[in-house]
Amino acid sequence: MSSRLRTAVYGVAGVVVLLVIAQIIGTTGLLGPTWPPITEVAAFLFDPSNHRLLGNALAATVSEAALGGLIGIVAGIGFALIAALLPLLAPGLDRFAALIDAVPAIALAPFLILVFGREGTPVIIVALSVTFIIYISTSSGLDSAGRPYRDLFSVLGARRAVRLGRVDVPAALPKLFDGLTLAAPAMILGATIGEWFGARRGLGVLFVSAMQNYRIELLWSAAVLAVLCSLIVYGAALLAQRAVVRRFA
Amino acid sequence: MSSVLQQASVTAPSTGSTREIALTGVAKTYPLKRGASVTALAGIDLEIADGEFVALLGPSGCGKSTVLRIVAGLEQPSTGTVSVGGASPQALSKAHRLGVAFQEHSLLPWLTVRQNITLPYKVAGRPVDTAHVRELIDLVGLGGFEDARPKHLSGGMRQRASIARALVLDPDVLLLDEPFGALDAVTRRRMNKELARIWAELRITTLLVTHDVDEAVLLADRVVVMTGRPGRIRHIEGIDLPLREHTELTRSPEFHEIVDRLTGMLETTKAA
Repeated sequence: MSSRLRTAVYGVAGVVVLLVIAQIIGTTGLLGPTWPPITEVAAFLFDPSNHRLLGNALAATVSEAALGGLIGIVAGIGFALIAALLPLLAPGLDRFAALIDAVPAIALAPFLILVFGREGTPVIIVALSVTFIIYISTSSGLDSAGRPYRDLFSVLGARRAVRLGRVDVPAALPKLFDGLTLAAPAMILGATIGEWFGARRGLGVLFVSAMQNYRIELLWSAAVLAVLCSLIVYGAALLAQRAVVRRFA
Repeated sequence: MSSVLQQASVTAPSTGSTREIALTGVAKTYPLKRGASVTALAGIDLEIADGEFVALLGPSGCGKSTVLRIVAGLEQPSTGTVSVGGASPQALSKAHRLGVAFQEHSLLPWLTVRQNITLPYKVAGRPVDTAHVRELIDLVGLGGFEDARPKHLSGGMRQRASIARALVLDPDVLLLDEPFGALDAVTRRRMNKELARIWAELRITTLLVTHDVDEAVLLADRVVVMTGRPGRIRHIEGIDLPLREHTELTRSPEFHEIVDRLTGMLETTKAA
């Protein structure tokens, strides 16, 4: 318990040190006028007259991230199960996933906008990156049960689908949730980047317009919200992952 | 416990199958790089009668586990034939008539003891006979630990759960691959005695693979001594000792005479 407390104290101390340094840079103007004091950013965030603007943007980004994340999780798990049940397809799916992940979202953007529209593009970018992460983590999880369990199920006379349901899937859960902790920040990031390509609402839109209109506090506030969102989703995924590891590993 | 006995004796004849194991001229070679190969087993002829307990004894690496894996249908012999109850090992496992306890207990960590022991019913798609599971848990001495997870059990308890799982569908054939190999000597001997007691009730055709001479002599009707590289059968010893579950047995001179002789064979094997 005391070592846990110490870790927490170190963590908080680290954040405080960073905030103080950022504040000093902002007040002294060390890095120019685009680095405001953190207190000004906080004041902007807490000013009720800005809440509608920030709230709408946040809601748009979070809903895109959630929808894209859901699609990505379902697709990633689905493809991994297909690869496990039909080993013939596994190498093809592996390469296709790697190819999709290797193509930068920026390069795909014009194509995505044409097919899915400006509002659909953030969702698709999130879904693509989450699908890849979940596909890889689930595939390696489904493969992790080990030979003793395989031998056991073959002497029990189990069909492939029975082994998948009774051993491979439960054994895959810790790695699947590892994948979720990786996917969580990628959801917010993907949605924000997707919004750069001309969405009407969202934190990404705020980034673009705040930069173009030189509204430094707005830019920083949007960034703080994006980071907080990522951290919250990551934290939730991490808690879930720990619970799953306790139960299944 | 008597109903466990009844169930075994009722189920076995109703399948109408004979339950002996026969290996004829079994050899196993594994290919290596550049066309070379290594012979793990050569010319294994072995018959195990219905209701007989045979122990396969040999130094590590002599291929005795490979024999068991072939009988379990987990590996194919390179030449020769293997039949279990007149059919192939795969047919036996597909019919859910094979019970195996491995050296690694392979209990599913997310299931309780009871759920692990009922797993074969689920895999076979049969309704769970809760009364039978209950009796089996008592038979292996795990009463009170039904709802514990494997990680909260001792090594000996895990192996007992694993043996109960192997027995739960009243298999025609029981295969034990060094089930007590990872246990300390004292626990191992206690487990041997418990297995002898359980087996005396059920009398299932059993093949036990072990490198422990005492264990083999204590449990088996016949002990098959193997030599390594390639694995061959060197000697078959019929054991005719009374009251094998009796504590005094291990102190009797007859027991020690056999153990010493078989140990001697293993030692000359190693030297060769």
